[in-house]
Amino acid sequence: MLTYLIFLPLLTGLLLCLVPRNYGFFMRLAALAATGVTMLLAVALFLQFDGAPLGPSHAFKFEQQIPWIPALGISYHVGVDGVNIGLILMGAIVAFAATCCAWEIRSREKEFYILLLLMTGGILAAFCSLDLFLFYFAHELALVPTFIMIGVWGRGSDKNLATFQITLYLSLGALVALAGLIALYLRAGAHSFDLVTLMQAAAKQPLPDADQKLIFPLLFLGFGVLISLWPFHTWAPLGYGSAPTPTAMLHAGVLKKFGLYGLIRIALPLLPHAAQAWAGTIAWLCLGNLVYCGFVAMRQKNLNWVIGYSSVAHMGFVFLGIASLNLIGVSGAILVMIAHGFLAALSFGLSGYLEQTTGTLEINEMGGLLRRLPFLGSALLLALFAGCGLPGFANFAGEVTVFFGAWKQFPVVTVLGVWAALVIGGVYMLRAVRGILHGPVPARFAAVQESDWPLRPLPYVLLILPLLLFGFRPSLLTDKIWPAAQSVLAVVTPADAAPPPGPTGPPKTKPARLVEHQP
Amino acid sequence: MEDHFIENLAWAALLLPLLAAVAITLGARRAAARLSIGAVTLSFLATLGLFLYLKLSGQTSLAQNSLPWLTIGHFGTPHYLQLSLGVQLDTLSLMMMLVVTGVGLLIHIYSQGYLAGDEGYSRFFACLSLFTFSMLGIVLADNFVMLFIFWELVGVSSYLLIGFWYNKASAADACKKAFLTNRIGDFGFLLGILLVWSTLGAIDFASLKLEINHGGHFAPVATMAGLLIFCGAVGKSAQFPLHVWLPDAMEGPTPVSALIHAATMVAAGVYMLCRVYFLLAAEGSHALEVIAWIGGGTSLLAALIAVQQNDIKRILAYSTLSQLGYMVMAVGTHGPTAAMYHLTTHAFFKALLFLGAGAVIYALHHEQDIWKMGGLRKQLPVTYWTFLVGTLALCGVVPFSGFYSKDSILAQTLKDGSYGLFTIGVVVAALTTFYMARLALVVFGGAARSAAAQHPHEAPPVMLWPLRILAVPSVIGGWIFIEATFAHFFAGAHGAVGHAAEAGGWGEQLLEPFNASPAAAFAGLFAIIVGGALAGGLYWNAATDPLPRRLGFLSRAMANRFYFDELYERVLIPCTHELLAKIAAFLDRWIIGGLAVRGSAGATEFAGRALRLVQSGSLQTYAFLLVGGVAVVIYFLLAR
Repeated sequence: MLTYLIFLPLLTGLLLCLVPRNYGFFMRLAALAATGVTMLLAVALFLQFDGAPLGPSHAFKFEQQIPWIPALGISYHVGVDGVNIGLILMGAIVAFAATCCAWEIRSREKEFYILLLLMTGGILAAFCSLDLFLFYFAHELALVPTFIMIGVWGRGSDKNLATFQITLYLSLGALVALAGLIALYLRAGAHSFDLVTLMQAAAKQPLPDADQKLIFPLLFLGFGVLISLWPFHTWAPLGYGSAPTPTAMLHAGVLKKFGLYGLIRIALPLLPHAAQAWAGTIAWLCLGNLVYCGFVAMRQKNLNWVIGYSSVAHMGFVFLGIASLNLIGVSGAILVMIAHGFLAALSFGLSGYLEQTTGTLEINEMGGLLRRLPFLGSALLLALFAGCGLPGFANFAGEVTVFFGAWKQFPVVTVLGVWAALVIGGVYMLRAVRGILHGPVPARFAAVQESDWPLRPLPYVLLILPLLLFGFRPSLLTDKIWPAAQSVLAVVTPADAAPPPGPTGPPKTKPARLVEHQP
Repeated sequence: MEDHFIENLAWAALLLPLLAAVAITLGARRAAARLSIGAVTLSFLATLGLFLYLKLSGQTSLAQNSLPWLTIGHFGTPHYLQLSLGVQLDTLSLMMMLVVTGVGLLIHIYSQGYLAGDEGYSRFFACLSLFTFSMLGIVLADNFVMLFIFWELVGVSSYLLIGFWYNKASAADACKKAFLTNRIGDFGFLLGILLVWSTLGAIDFASLKLEINHGGHFAPVATMAGLLIFCGAVGKSAQFPLHVWLPDAMEGPTPVSALIHAATMVAAGVYMLCRVYFLLAAEGSHALEVIAWIGGGTSLLAALIAVQQNDIKRILAYSTLSQLGYMVMAVGTHGPTAAMYHLTTHAFFKALLFLGAGAVIYALHHEQDIWKMGGLRKQLPVTYWTFLVGTLALCGVVPFSGFYSKDSILAQTLKDGSYGLFTIGVVVAALTTFYMARLALVVFGGAARSAAAQHPHEAPPVMLWPLRILAVPSVIGGWIFIEATFAHFFAGAHGAVGHAAEAGGWGEQLLEPFNASPAAAFAGLFAIIVGGALAGGLYWNAATDPLPRRLGFLSRAMANRFYFDELYERVLIPCTHELLAKIAAFLDRWIIGGLAVRGSAGATEFAGRALRLVQSGSLQTYAFLLVGGVAVVIYFLLAR
């Protein structure tokens, strides 16, 4: 199942290499079909996956393992659990939506769609992989096309600078993370890149603290750059502002989650002591994202930059959740990752549509467009409100869970984080609404109209629906997430994994009266 | 079986307006008004049924049920979190729901006339239904997180309604201001919830009440938690210092003002305080003292500002602020009964006043300056008489409803021994009578002061009937056992029995204040006479406002709302948020984005010519090299 999911887009991409380049429309259809079927497969996978608590060792479902480079202990090993099932679903939906939005690409379509399909395959492979090498390989497979896409199909005058900066930054980050992964491989002594093997080895005997303290910073900094951790975030808004819309959607929505996924999947269970030692630092660094980048977002005049900085700021919630190192915080962090994936893709998709419609993204030049562009305007309004943490969207559920998780460990950081979520986020999002959608309509936009093609809203609707669905019923995700998060944390904070204590002590969190009424 | 039916009825009352909003948004444009009104009518009937059932059963609360919304962890472990959505059906929530749906229904009907022909007619009803849904959620919530969720939803639906005419710059600014000011209050509210949760280990009201009654470890943080939670009410109920958004919210269509100001939104803050009163009044907490003085201060401040406003809706807006201050003060002086009592009667007569003001504005083609009105007494008889009823009720004239509920608050301050607050209350009563008499005399009395005022046309029946209906409870609200109902509830809960708890028949109800607390009753009546006499002397047949000349600077300060908006917009926000944002943007652009990035690029160049070759070369080469690099590493490892 997982292998179909991964190789369908990859093989379609390879097949497209054989198609002559003047069959642009066919290529578009083929890419849509491939990503569309992938999306349906991912939905089916999500529905089949039951989040029942798992045994400590066999934590993965739909597992498949094929030796790849046995000399190094590298294998093609894929599987899902509650940590990645939601991310796979999110990645597949975003990939299809991004392919729909690739309508704007009118030159060298062949190369673009091939790269897009490679990216899609890489994304899904990275999230499915249970092998460190496969994870890294798939990550590069998804990452490298972004550089090329920005360089060739990018928007705006800063395109070259953006390409240069994003390539330099992310490659350096990826290399540092690679160094960390290789060090992990060498030090673990299991002679294997296989995550399950490594986790079992670590469960028996954790790495020596000295090694952990050496490797964790490498992984943290390397992944941190990929996630746009403050102060390594400046590539993000510039890159997103210059990237073609589908690339920005995929990168901000999905690729950015790789680093976080790596931290949760690899760094926490394999380097538990170092993770504990670094938790305080991570918590304080996350304020750089939440507060500082939030403030910077307040000063931006271009919608793409506002969204870019807000997407950097939102990463702070995930960092805070991870730093709390407890079940609530980490589950909340995963929930935010999924929600933010949909949201970032939606925001960049809409801003791309807006730019095609109006020819600008400068907030000061626009105004009152909600009247002229009813669908686009309403969808943007929803996206911006989801971005400032409105209940009803999945982001709120994730953020509030993170706050509950982090409150006891880091009260001061949480106070500032709540301020950032409710007030700073509100200020920059509502400024954008006020500038773009509200107010009088400038004369130049008096006749602007959105596309009347009935399927044009499809990608945006596809992204809004899961946001609302998981916003109203977050348990659809959290019921799957928390048992898996618990097994990840079992090494870090053994208390969490302990079986529920018996009836000793009064049940504090839930009165008996409530239980009676539950079916 | 019976319990299930009741729970489902409550869920239906909550969800019907949401369904209407969704249906309208998805395309049922034509039927917008019918759907919206139908939903709120059914909600009202369901609530009425539940309320009668509760009354007949003689209890103060019915079964409650809750559905898990988000669960993490095993129950009983230290990292267990369950957030649920549950309905709490008791006297407090059902009375409040009756007010919300009842007054809301009349406002829905009125809107049909007021908004007729507007471009956004269906959008208006969708937002109105969303608003009703959110408000009902607050009322029914049985735990803090659900309360917070709907709290935020009320914030956003008010944003949509205040900014209904979003192409108008002032409306667009007003809705943004309302939302953000509320968010500042919500900041404290959410922290308060987190603090309560981490101290007591629960978020639902029933468990919290048990925990607090069992005493224990809450006392050290009780004051802090109470004040943080109060922050939420400060935002939503527009108390000082977050009161600035409410008058601006007048940019919304008038039915929205009526809804926000009377039955919903601002009432939510006071309702929340009464709902968690057990927490505010917990042992070791001094939160109530602060709450009382914030409420008293707000009521005085707003009443003073109202004296010198000239926009008919703004006068009413400041009067709302002032009355909310009363209610908060009542909560602060250990009188949740009095607060809920005044909230209920105020909902009737303030909705009446706003809808009446709307009828006047409608008649004068959207003229809102009272000094361009005048002499409307004869041309708009229905509006005049109903508005007069509302005015008398607001001023607190015997036997209108306002007298009884206001007296209940004044008596409560006396009983609590807060003589300072009692004095404030009496002064505010005089000021209220003064500005309301000014409003009524200038708008309806004298002669017409503009062309529009000479030929007004009375509103259509669909707008006049809600006025007539609202006038009834505005008159009789004081003697239909509203206070007794609340007192019964709070007595069971907290032992704070209001003075009307044991009142007998209707007649006794009528005279009850004079028996229970004659000092408060007579002080209130005296204040009305003073305020009324002063206003009569100054504004009987007045062509212009004589006060600016007599009061000088004080009048200017009142007219300019004591310069709070200027203070916030020119000093406070630029010196904090904006300044920090500027610094951050500067740092990001020139230090982190400039030095760090260029520096690292420079270091890379310095490190080796090879990399520089790559940087100047084509991008594909570079990407290729990257993958190649990975291959080299593997080769290295393989060779080992």
